[in-house]
Amino acid sequence: MSDDGEVVDPRARLDEISKAKCVKQLMSYQACVKRIEGDETGHKHCTGQYFDYWACIDKHVAPRLFKWTK
Amino acid sequence: MSLVAFRDLIGVAYTEEEVKAMAADIEVEDGPNDEGEMYMRPGKPSDHFPSPYANEQAARFANGGAYPPDLSLITKARHNGQNYVFALLTGYREPPAGVSVREGLHYNPYFPGGAIAMPKMLMDGGVEYEDGVPATETQMAKDVVTFLSWAAEPEMEERKLMGFKVIFVLSLALIQAGFYKRWKWAPVKSRRVIVDVIN
Repeated sequence: MSDDGEVVDPRARLDEISKAKCVKQLMSYQACVKRIEGDETGHKHCTGQYFDYWACIDKHVAPRLFKWTK
Repeated sequence: MSLVAFRDLIGVAYTEEEVKAMAADIEVEDGPNDEGEMYMRPGKPSDHFPSPYANEQAARFANGGAYPPDLSLITKARHNGQNYVFALLTGYREPPAGVSVREGLHYNPYFPGGAIAMPKMLMDGGVEYEDGVPATETQMAKDVVTFLSWAAEPEMEERKLMGFKVIFVLSLALIQAGFYKRWKWAPVKSRRVIVDVIN
């Protein structure tokens, strides 16, 4: 895992791989971000889409993550 | 961790000598001596892990108003505790669009409410493992959760072994009781009752 003494967390790599499976959630999150871009009230937020996206990523990362730990 | 004692580690993670040495590193206030005064003495294995703060107010003051919970039972005290603690420790992320946390708090999607007082504590390479395992965030978080699960239920393995033995023996006893009951009831169940005219 360590090439020049640097420790690399497998999480980053697995997140990238899982992104391909979660495109729908990512698109809907980005659509939400665009939608609230001009918002001034401060009440609008994209937590729902954010949670959907990260729940999808976590679902795909979880079974693969512990192969890389002792 | 005030519910865990040093001696609980003997045979699990350290030898007795190592535990005695670790306990002796801390100072513990002990009961009144003959003169009625409290005195400090080096720790013994029977002492519990020392608390970092003297009381709740000191804890809140040192942590920006938030009271860090006692971690002795945390994996049992939260729903899906082991996964929750792991996700919390590794889950520090940028907040979603439109969400901001106030100064002094940090965003963590796994914490109820989203804003947690504890900053991200696990960084890659944060510790050196004795056996040379790379100290990634994931590895360290897994080890922390393993330790906390042990601390919450140190008797778990023995309890489950005992459970299997008890269930096995009781199921044998159940089968035996079933046969015995059917044997005792055989004369009753094989009775024939004839209703006929009296002549």
